[in-house]
Amino acid sequence: MSLITTYCHLSADICSVNGEIVAKRNIESDESWFRQIYKEQEFAYPKFNKMDILSQAGFLASELIKRANPRIATAYGDDEIALFFANHASSADTDMRFVHSYEHNGAPSPSLFVYTLPNIVLGEIAIANKWYGENMFAVLPKFAPEFFFNYGQILLSGSSKAILCGWLEILGNAINVFLFFVENNVENGTAFNHENLLKLSSFNL
Amino acid sequence: MTYIGAEVIISPMGGTTAENWSAMRANRSGISLVSKAGFDNADFYLSKILSLSGGYKFEKLLLEALESVSAMIDPEILSSERTIIIVSSTKGELDEDIKDQFSHSAKALVTRFKLVNEPVIVSNACISGVLAINTAQQFIQAKIYDHAVVIGCDVISDFVVYGFQSLFAISDAPCLPFDAQRNGITMGEGCGAVVVSNAKEIFQNAPLALFPGTSANDANHISGPSRTGEGLFRSVKRTLELNKIATDEIDFISAHGTATVFNDEMESIAFDRLGLNDVPLNSLKGYFGHTLGAAGVIETAASMQMMRNSTLIKSLGYQASGTSKTLNVISENKEKKLNTILKTASGFGGGNASLIIRSL
Repeated sequence: MSLITTYCHLSADICSVNGEIVAKRNIESDESWFRQIYKEQEFAYPKFNKMDILSQAGFLASELIKRANPRIATAYGDDEIALFFANHASSADTDMRFVHSYEHNGAPSPSLFVYTLPNIVLGEIAIANKWYGENMFAVLPKFAPEFFFNYGQILLSGSSKAILCGWLEILGNAINVFLFFVENNVENGTAFNHENLLKLSSFNL
Repeated sequence: MTYIGAEVIISPMGGTTAENWSAMRANRSGISLVSKAGFDNADFYLSKILSLSGGYKFEKLLLEALESVSAMIDPEILSSERTIIIVSSTKGELDEDIKDQFSHSAKALVTRFKLVNEPVIVSNACISGVLAINTAQQFIQAKIYDHAVVIGCDVISDFVVYGFQSLFAISDAPCLPFDAQRNGITMGEGCGAVVVSNAKEIFQNAPLALFPGTSANDANHISGPSRTGEGLFRSVKRTLELNKIATDEIDFISAHGTATVFNDEMESIAFDRLGLNDVPLNSLKGYFGHTLGAAGVIETAASMQMMRNSTLIKSLGYQASGTSKTLNVISENKEKKLNTILKTASGFGGGNASLIIRSL
């Protein structure tokens, strides 16, 4: 049976792992919320500063999940972990910044343009971990536990032994991120099914 | 067994599959010089559907493609609860609503064709199309659905042209995939569709067999191809092994071939590592341009036409080898029975995907 072994939430002001709060946004700070988490958690990955907000969210949540679940780093081959993310807004937040660059800032910005695809976050996580596994980014009307369950099962019945899944919705100040790790052949965790996904997501659907 | 058929292509070369096939057979391209298409009013060669004007171009193409599909399959299928529509696209209807790039079109499909299930959008840069077809195959093999229609679509917008212009990635002439003189992509727009099903009898024309495909990330760079072709190598290797197909069984490769210096070089290295150098190969970008999220579906549909017509189509724009590893790039149309073909795609975000289709 497949189990959800670790999960992470990011909202506009709270960051939690397995339901335990690990960081709260300091609204007095000049630094962005994700940069606050990055520093507080003492991550050292300079590329983080170049990433757009969607990739920063995916990077932070995946690193926090890895830290809470050390098996991830040791139990799997470099192509055995699939990445399967979805959201509704695609890369709209960065898309708008890119439009702003050519409509108001003089010229289209290449460094923004390369982030105007929702699947770039999968690439950033793959690069950070040297993971060569399967990738999928879907755009859905809303968080769909059944879709995650169905496609997650498909991935797990193929060459992937574990999956890092996530709903990664960011648009302006609205941040709704829920990443979770699903494994086979482990003892502790929550059964991977759509009821539990709905419960753990804490989304009001 | 999973079947694939009812392929549709809408491009500057024509609004029907037959028109597109006849243009391909005549080695006629959809690419033309479009004035003031770029930032600062730069002129660019584009594969642009000049007859498509006004707003909601993305939605119009999706509806037109599904209308064409519906005429080629059992009419009950589209409105069945056992059918899913999978749309592959990068930027959807961004020009209509940048904050919600797919909902309006998805709703229009649901209403017009009385769909029971909400369409799923696969958005994985340039591998979207191949990944969407693979997803359809997996959904059907897992018995979650019995039928899937995969529609790949992307339209040309200032957004994408300015973006690729800012990366200096656009060719100053119609693109030249795998050629020594290549210097970038030609952007394209269009729509492709295929039907994937567990039932042979829903197709009016005999379908082909679709085998399970795979994807793999390069884990190297978000906007540059791997120098070793690692992700493409792994994806194709995994797809071949999964289906127990040997390299010498592959009769044709529909490569990605964007015509950037680094992409085509990467593909040559990956195919060389796989021992696929001698397999006849083309890139269809010289005909359709690079249609981004639509490319994998349009090029799969075009490859299916090649199989049905037993014809290898010339890789338009290719004259002299321009990659460090030699490939068997098709230089003239040629009659050949095509039993088993390989389609690949690679893209931003380090994605690579591959699939195999076999004649029945």
